Parts: sequence; structure tokens; C-alpha cells
Amino acid sequence: MTAVLQVALAGGVTGSLYGLLAVGIVLIYRTTGVLNFAYGAIAAVCACFMYVLLTGPRLNFWLALPLALIFAVALGIALERLFARPVLNAPVFTKAIATLALALVLQTVAQQIWPQLAQPEHFPSPFEGHATRIGGLYISAIGVTVLGVTAVVMVALALFLNRTRLGIAMRATADNQPVARLMGVPVGLVFPLVWALSAVVAALTGILFASQQAVIDVQFMDPLLILAFVAAVLGGLESLPGALLGGLIVGLTDSLLALVLAGRHVGALDVSDPGIRAALIFGGFVLVLLLRPQGLFGQAVLRKV
Amino acid sequence: MTAATPMSLLEIRGLTVRFGGLVAINDLDLTIRMGQIFALVGPNGAGKTTVLNCVSGFVRPEHGTIRLAGTDLLPLGRDMRARLGIGRTFQNVQLFSSMSVLDNLVTAQHSRLRAGMLSGMLPFGRGPAEDARARERAREMLALLDLEAYADVIAGTLPLGARKLVGVARALVLKPRLVLLDEPAAGVPHAEVTALAEKLRSWRDTLGATLLLIEHNMALVQAVADSVCALNYGSKLAEGNPREVLSHPSVLEAYLGREAGSEAGSETGSEVESRDAEG
Amino acid sequence: MAAQQTPGSSASAPAPTMARLSRLAWVRGARVLTQGGGATFAVVALVLALLPTLFDGFFGFSAGFQLHRITLIGIFVIAAFAQNILTGYAAQASLGNAAFFGVGGYMLAWLTNDLGKPYWAGILVAVGVAAVVGILVGGPALRISGAYLAIATLGLVFVTVSLLDLWDTTAGRQNYDLSNLPALLTDDHTLYYTILVITVVLLWLGRNLLRSRVGRAWIAIRDSEAAAEAVGVNLARFKLLAFVVSAMLTGLAGALYATWATTASSSMASADQTIAFLTMIIVGGLGSITGSILGAIFVGFLPLLLGQLPSPLTIGSAQIQVSTLTTGIYGMLLLLALVFFPSGLSSLGGRGRALWTRLRSRAGGQP
Ligand SMILES: Nc1ncnc2c1ncn2[C@@H]1O[C@H](COP(=O)(O)OP(=O)(O)O)[C@@H](O)[C@H]1O
Ligand SMILES: [Mg+2]
Repeated sequence: MTAVLQVALAGGVTGSLYGLLAVGIVLIYRTTGVLNFAYGAIAAVCACFMYVLLTGPRLNFWLALPLALIFAVALGIALERLFARPVLNAPVFTKAIATLALALVLQTVAQQIWPQLAQPEHFPSPFEGHATRIGGLYISAIGVTVLGVTAVVMVALALFLNRTRLGIAMRATADNQPVARLMGVPVGLVFPLVWALSAVVAALTGILFASQQAVIDVQFMDPLLILAFVAAVLGGLESLPGALLGGLIVGLTDSLLALVLAGRHVGALDVSDPGIRAALIFGGFVLVLLLRPQGLFGQAVLRKV
Repeated sequence: MTAATPMSLLEIRGLTVRFGGLVAINDLDLTIRMGQIFALVGPNGAGKTTVLNCVSGFVRPEHGTIRLAGTDLLPLGRDMRARLGIGRTFQNVQLFSSMSVLDNLVTAQHSRLRAGMLSGMLPFGRGPAEDARARERAREMLALLDLEAYADVIAGTLPLGARKLVGVARALVLKPRLVLLDEPAAGVPHAEVTALAEKLRSWRDTLGATLLLIEHNMALVQAVADSVCALNYGSKLAEGNPREVLSHPSVLEAYLGREAGSEAGSETGSEVESRDAEG
Repeated sequence: MAAQQTPGSSASAPAPTMARLSRLAWVRGARVLTQGGGATFAVVALVLALLPTLFDGFFGFSAGFQLHRITLIGIFVIAAFAQNILTGYAAQASLGNAAFFGVGGYMLAWLTNDLGKPYWAGILVAVGVAAVVGILVGGPALRISGAYLAIATLGLVFVTVSLLDLWDTTAGRQNYDLSNLPALLTDDHTLYYTILVITVVLLWLGRNLLRSRVGRAWIAIRDSEAAAEAVGVNLARFKLLAFVVSAMLTGLAGALYATWATTASSSMASADQTIAFLTMIIVGGLGSITGSILGAIFVGFLPLLLGQLPSPLTIGSAQIQVSTLTTGIYGMLLLLALVFFPSGLSSLGGRGRALWTRLRSRAGGQP
């Protein structure tokens, strides 16, 4: 029983990380139609910046954090200007490929600026080594932080999107850009805002993940990215809660599979290998899509004939 | 209405279509006889396009049967219905915009041609031979519609009126038994509408086709239709010969009451298909 | 494709005798071989045929490596063409072609090394297995589309890499080295000619296919799925066919790549490899055979050109290791190409021709 709870907790924590990334992905996709494969690189670059603040000038973690978030905002706005705007009217597929290219560029640039991060480095965080036991359940400080931050981010986003003028303008843009433009929504302002907002979410996720792993390099977010996309698609690429839920489903499935498959062999094959797990998750994902092509929580799409 | 006469080509019985809560077609019966020009009229949103979509397979009805010359259409996929001899146009045209006009008409003969992977890869033999015949048929059809000048023009670059006509040519090129035309006159310059009326009749005669026509232009309907059915809110208001139907009080009310003068602005009529209608 | 098919003789109808002549199969065949300028074709053929000799003449014996590198471009052309059939013609947003590439390479290695089968049998099986994977991916693709399909197929790539890695670990090896290659394919010169012939033949067959009923059905699906169905195209069959054809060609390219590198590694099925294929067709031009070739040349030559830069490269006081820059520059160029030539390099030829005819007709004489 405790084992299962422990696994559920671990799955919830990684699932939240997937979910946060998925939320950022959906945010950008819905408003700008960019399927952002560079999202992992954005998160990684922000986390690397944080690492540099922590290790270079040896800033305090809580002092470095706001600086890293400001950096994320700047990065988001810069990317919108230099990258997203020139390709704005390209077909969705072309834009998606462009983000793959952007990811390569971001990683290369980061690696040139911070050559030490080409290799995994230790990422210092105040959570390191803090954990407690509650009734046989091992609970780490970073795990609790991940869950807390996720909840706060989701509530804050919901309040922002539903209660503020700018947030409502963003939703209007996402629903129907030409109409929003006609209604006087400052679309030119909304796009940088979306990129900045999602970059902040990316930075938070990156820093959380680096703290959890306690190591970082320029590509450390890559393994998370594809599962975050799975989460976003399961959520229907539409709603933010759907994306988070998708993330939790993926995270829990991953942990459960890890538990079930641990130490098992089929013939000579070690099925506890993460590769097998990924294959199983993807198989399930494709099955879900076959049964519900619009994702678990997406609306049936209407196609014009 | 006389039940299944031996001459009837298309029989629609008890057709009901629902989109979520909206009943788009309500228990509709229609019979279209061989060689007829049958016009479907009604205000925007009456469900005319939906009837067409049911016949060609783009919308799956909730109830009812649709038979083409006795063959039950509903179990058949869209491509199979095309093979059975149903040609159609689209309200928003939907040409193969990157192809030349000629290639649009050659592609429209897909179901007549046989070449597969192997003969497709070789520049001699069956594939090119049947393609050559297809091009010939395509040119004949373009000639019939006075479109020869456009043969080598990329379809996407044509003006709307010409694209509509190419759409009609594409629907006709295989000389289908039943041709479904969704507002062919919308966007065609007014001067050419009378010419279009004559053409519709002559195609029917030369091709031996049966035409199911959705049309807002009442003058055109008066001029060409053998029979008219007026729809409103998915139900039949009146059916019969054009003069009677178009002067029927409830038809006039449906048009004048809600639609006075807006006949021309019919291009935005939504033709939407629910993606999982396929099942 | 269809766009290019219209020959230069714009709206004017061809003379009737010519039309009848052109219907004769052999005339058509000859035209197909020489279209786009017989002279250009002859020059290109000659240059390609003499390339190895030229190389040896100019660069001496050490040029073998460069020739080897150029051979790779032929393999890339096949893969790019395969991706273009699927994505540029049939409009299926597949990010999964690297999986076919890797599977092709590993199958060849497995059959020739572990099972000791003859090389060409290995090639056949590699292509066949890739086709099966193509069916497995293409099947779901009939129900999934757009962004969903892109992500599902990218997932396929990640899964394939992990499984190939797992296979390597289980078998206790780093790479899968091919040792039983026929002599024909171990010499740089004969390898070059073999790949050249295979590539040219495949491009020629593929080009015919794209102009046939099958190719027209794919383009019809791209231009309007609804209209394609309305004229009788069975969407499921032709989308699946596009996946299978693309998978077979990519699988073959993968097997040839493993031959070229004399080793197969799981990185063949990596996301980077998929990005490379997509770069080729987007930089070169979607829905264009010329585009597939230009894109493959672009991607194939880039590392070579970057290799010419001094390393380390000194800019001001900074020293940069060029090798670490390669992927970044690659991405940067892709971005620039997307922004400035959104319809690919192959469209430049068309624009150039249009400009040329405009200039000529302005100069007076009717063209
Ligand atoms: N796929 C669909 N999903 C939801 N509603 C639809 C769909 N297709 C048509 N409708 C609705 O059904 C009604 C009839 O539409 P339609 O047949 O296009 O009308 P008409 O062609 O007579 O103008 C309209 O109210 C339209 O909005
Ligand atoms: Mg309509």
C-alpha cells in the first residue's frame, strides 16, 4: 500500500512537471498556432541562467529566482519579436519545424555562452537533502514544492485569464484572432505577452526539475519535452486544466509502469528499461488517440466541407 | 408524391439529421426522377447543403434511407458513392488549387482510371495510355463549358466565377448519373446566369444526367427546374412545379419574412461536417 | 508537381499533330528523360559521371573522403524525396521518418551480420520491414491528423531510438558494425556509382508515379480532402499508400546509409535525423522533386563547408570551436530559409524563370 502511495506521489510530482510544460505549450499553441518544440530548450536556457547566477556571483537562491524569471520574460519577448513574428503567417507545420530549428539554435548559443554546461553540473538548491517521513511515506521538500508551485501557477493563470482585461484579450485572441482584432483587442500586445508568460512557466518548470534532479546541462529538459507534448495532446491541445490533467496521467502511468516492470525480464529483454516504458506509454497514447482523435478532453473538431 | 416509380433515380425517405441539439433535417422525403432537373430552394440554414452532404456521404443522417436507383447509399463510403455515379460541387468550390484546370478534370476521373503503383511508375503502358484518354475527355468537357482557354491555368489563380464553372466541369466530367450542384450561380456574374440556365438544360440533355440543384436565384430556378422543393428549418414547405412552389404563400413568407433581399449574400452558408460523423 | 507539369507553352493549345505524337508512349518516355532542357540534363549527367575522376585529378588520392561525403548526398536525396512524398505531396505531417531510417539500417545489419544472409536479400528485408512499420504508423494516421499526428509520429522516433538502444545494450555492443559488405560497396568509387544509379532510378520512377493517377490522388488530398473524396479517392488507401511508399524509400535510404557508414547506430532514428529530413524538404521546397535534391545537397554539404572554417574560430577575443557550432548554424540557416524563402529553394528557379520570360517579352520579341 505504501509502495503504491509512494509511486503515486512520485508520479504526481513528475506528472506536474509534464503538466506545467504542457500548459505552456498549449498557451502558445492556442494563441499563436505555434506547436513549440523549442519549449524544452527555453526552459533549459532559463534554468541554466539561474545556475549561472547561483554559481557565478553565488547569489542566494531566492534572489536569483526573480532575476531568472525576469530573464525568462525578456527571452520570451525577444523570441516573439525575432522568431515568432516573422513566421507568423506560415503554415502550422512549417512553424513547428521552425521551432525545432529554434531549439537547436538556443542550445548552441547557450552552450557557447556557458561552455561548462555542455556536461552535467551540480545544481544547488535549498531543497536539496530535505525530506521527511509521514507514516512510512517518504516526502521530499522538492516534491512538495513542485506540487505547490503547480497549484499556484494554475490558479494564477486561471485568475489572470478570466479576471483581467489582458487575460480576457488573450482568450479572445485564441478563440478568433481576426474577430478579436476587429473588436479592438491589442493583438500586437497579446503575442509578446503569451510568449513571456509561457517562458515564465518554462523557467519555473526548468528550475524545479533541475532542483529535483540536482544536475543540469543545456539539454536536460529534452527527455521531458516529448512526454509534455503527449500530455498536451491528451488534454486536447485546448484547455489548460486538460493539459495539467494530461501531464498527471502521463506521470502516474510512467511511475506505475516503473513499479510494475521493475526488475522483470521477458526472455533476455530487461523490460524495466526506460525505453520499454516510453514505448508502452506511446503505444497507449496512440491507442487513446485512435479512440478519441481529439484527445481525452478535447472537443470534437468541426471540419468545413 | 408518387412512391417509387420505376423512373425514380434518387429516393430519400424519412431523412433526419441532427447536429447536437439542432435538427438540421426533419423527416424529409424526396424523389428525383431520371433526367430531371430538381431544384432545392430555401433560406440560408434551411438544410439544403446538408441534404446534398447526406447524398454524397459527408454527413451521416440519424434516420432515414437514401437510395440511388435502388442501391442503398448509406452503408457506402464517399469514394464508393462517387464510383456509383454521383458527382458534386461544393458551395465553397474546393478545387485542387495547385493543379492546372485540365489536371483538375483528369483527377476527377480517378474512379474511372485503374493505374496503380506499378503502372504509375512507368512512363509507358497502361497508365499513360489511360491518362491520355482522360485528358481527352477532360478537354471535351472543358470545350462543352467554354473553358478551353483555362486548360493550362493553375486552378487556384482563377477568379471565383471561373472556379465555380471549373467545379461544375469537374463534377460532370465522368458523366455521372446524378449531379449535385450547390449554388452554381452564386458568384457567377449576373449576365452569365441566363447562359448558365441554358447550359444546365443542354448538359442534362447531352449527358443524360439528372441534376439536383441548390439555387437561390429564383429566375434561374424558374427557367430550368422541372420540379422544385422548398425547405425551411429542415422541413419541406412545398414541392411541385416551379411556378406553384415559388408562389406558395409559406415559401414566400419563409423568404420574405426572414430573408428579404439577402439572397445574394449566400456564400457564407456554413457547410460543416462533424469530424466523427464517420464513426 | 502539377504546377511544374504545365510545359512552357502556356495557354496556347499545342498543334494537333504534336498532341497526337506526344501520346505515343516512347515519345513521352523520351520527353520525360530530357524534359527541363536536354542540354542541362546531359551536362549534369556528365558531371556526375565524371565526378570521381575529376576529384582524383584535382585533389589526388586524399580526396576519397570528399567523394564519400558526396555519396552521402545521394542517400539523403532518397530520404528527402521520401519525406516529400509523404509531407509535401500527400500532406501528412509526419515527424517519424527517422524511425524508418533507423529500422532500415538495423535490419540490414542484423540480416547480413547476425544471420549471414546475402547483402541484397538484407536490403529487400530492410525495405519490407520498413514498409510494415509504415503500415503500423500510417494506420493510425488515417484517424489522427495535423498537430496530433505530428506529435504521435515524433513519439515513434523516440520509441524507436530507445528500442534500438535497448537492442544494442542487450546484445552488448556500441554500434552495429556491418562487416559482410560486397566489395562493390566498400570502394569509394564503386559505392558512388552504385548510389548514383539507385538514386537516379528511384527519382525517375518516383517522378512518374507523382504524375500518375496515384500522385494526382495524393495532391488532391493535399489540396482538398473533401473534393478528393467526392471524385472517388479512397482517403484511407491513398494516405496509407503514401506512408508505405515513404517508409520503404526511407528504409532503403537507411540501409544504404548503414552501408555507407559501415555501421548502424540508434542515432539514425533520432529526432535530430527527423529534423534533418524535414530541413531538406522545407529548405528545398515542399512538393517538389528538385526541392528534395536541393535540400539534400544543402544539408549534406553544410558540415563540409563548416569544416572549411578555421577551428578554433577567433572572433575578437573569443575563440569558438566550430564543431560545436554545426547544429546551431544548421538551425539558424533553416530559420533564415523559412523566413526568407518560405516556399523553398526550388521556388527560386521558378521565380527566376518568370523574371527571365518577363524580361525577354519586354525586350520586344514574342517568346
Ligand atoms: N457539421 C455541422 N455541425 C453543426 N451544424 C451544422 C453542420 N452543418 C450544418 N449545420 C447547421 O445546419 C443547418 C443547415 O445548414 P445547411 O445545410 O448548410 O443550410 P443551407 O445550405 O440550406 O444554407 C444550419 O443551421 C447549419 O448551421
Ligand atoms: Mg448551403
